[in-house]
Amino acid sequence: MTITHHPDEETLLAFASGSLDEPRSVVVAAHVALCPCCRATVAAFEQFGGALVERAPPAAARAGSLDETLARLDEAAPPAPALHQPEPDCPGVLAPYEVGRWRWIGPGVHWRKVEVPESEGTRVFMLKAAPGSSLPHHGHSGVEWTCVLQGAFRHDLGRYGPGDFDAADDTVDHTPLVEEGDICICLVAMQGDLELRGWLGRLLQPFVRL
Amino acid sequence: MRCGVESITPQIAATLVRAIASRGDREAFKDLFGFYAPRIKTVLMRGGAAAEIAEDLAQETLIAVWRKAASYDPQKATVSAWIFTIARNLRIDRFRKDQRAQLHQVYELMLPAETDPPDVPFEAVERERRVRAALEGLPQEQVRVVELSFFEGNAHGDIATKLGIPLGTVKSRLRLAMARLRDFLGENS
Repeated sequence: MTITHHPDEETLLAFASGSLDEPRSVVVAAHVALCPCCRATVAAFEQFGGALVERAPPAAARAGSLDETLARLDEAAPPAPALHQPEPDCPGVLAPYEVGRWRWIGPGVHWRKVEVPESEGTRVFMLKAAPGSSLPHHGHSGVEWTCVLQGAFRHDLGRYGPGDFDAADDTVDHTPLVEEGDICICLVAMQGDLELRGWLGRLLQPFVRL
Repeated sequence: MRCGVESITPQIAATLVRAIASRGDREAFKDLFGFYAPRIKTVLMRGGAAAEIAEDLAQETLIAVWRKAASYDPQKATVSAWIFTIARNLRIDRFRKDQRAQLHQVYELMLPAETDPPDVPFEAVERERRVRAALEGLPQEQVRVVELSFFEGNAHGDIATKLGIPLGTVKSRLRLAMARLRDFLGENS
C-alpha cells in the first residue's frame, strides 16, 4: 500500500494530544492504523506530551493520596470494554461503535451510518461506490475528512487510494470519480449534510438525512 | 505522603515499571507515583479539570500503570510518553458526554496488534532524544502556545487573552513552532 496523502502535522498533534473531536479522530485513527509514517509522528507527539508532563511543576496532592492509591492496587481491574463483532469492510478502529446496514442512496453508491456521537454537526459514515461512479457532490458547509479503505477515487487534487487521507473544507467543490476496477469504500467525517445531486437526489433527500 | 520525586530519567522510569511487572514492587510504584501523579494532576488542571477530578484521574492513571506494567514496551515508547497516553485516554473517557463515545478505545485499536520488533532498535530512545532537542531548541514562548492550544485545549482567542498578546502573535508563534517541530520530527519515517 502506497499512501501519498496524509493528515497535516497540526491535525496529528491535535489527535495525539487528545484535543481533536471524536468524529474526526476516528477518521484520522483509520489512517494512522494503515500508515507507519503517521504512527511514528503520532508517537513523537505523544513523546512531546510525555515531556510536557515531566516538565510540569508538581501540584499539591490531596492528603493521603499515595495511601489511597496503594490501597486500591489490588482491586480487580474493570472489565474489558465490549467491542462489536467486526462488520465486513469495517476497519478495526470502528470496533467500539455500532455500524448500520448499507443503504442504497443512488446509482452505484451505498451509505452506512457509524454511531460515533456527533460533534458540532460532524458525523461519521461509510460510503461504498461502484467503479466508475461519482461520489455524492461535495458541496458542503464545513469539514469533510475521508480515509480511503479500499479502491480509489480521483479529484482535482490527485488520486486517493487505500489508506489515503483527504481533508476538504468548504472552499473545495469537487466531484470525486471512483476509478475503474475496484469498489471504493471510504470512512468519512462530515459536517453538515451530504447533497444528493440530480433529480434522483432531490427525490430522495426528503427521506434520507445523510 | 512521601515527598515528591524531583526528577526521573527514562532509564530509571523503565526500570521501575519493569520492577512492577516482574515482582509487583510497591516501592517502585511509590517512586513512579511520587514523580508522575503530581505532574499529571498539574497538566489536567491546566486543561481545565477541577482539582478533585484531576487528582482522581492522576490516581487512576498510576493504578493503570500498575495493572498494565507487563504490557509496557520500552522499545516503543518512553514511560513518560506511555503514561501520557494513559492519562489522555482516561481524561477523554472521564469527560465524555455520551455513552456511545469510545475514542479512548480507538487510540489502542489503531496500533498494530503484533509485537514485532520495531524497524529501528531503541526507537523510543531516539524519539525521546529528538523531542528533547526540539523542546530545548524551541523558544519557551512557542512551546507555551503549543501547550495551551493542543494540550490544554484553548481557542486561539483565549490564548491571546491569557498571555496578553495579540491574536496574530498567537497564530505566528504556533506557525513557527509547528515549522520547527516538523524539522525536528519530520524525518521520523
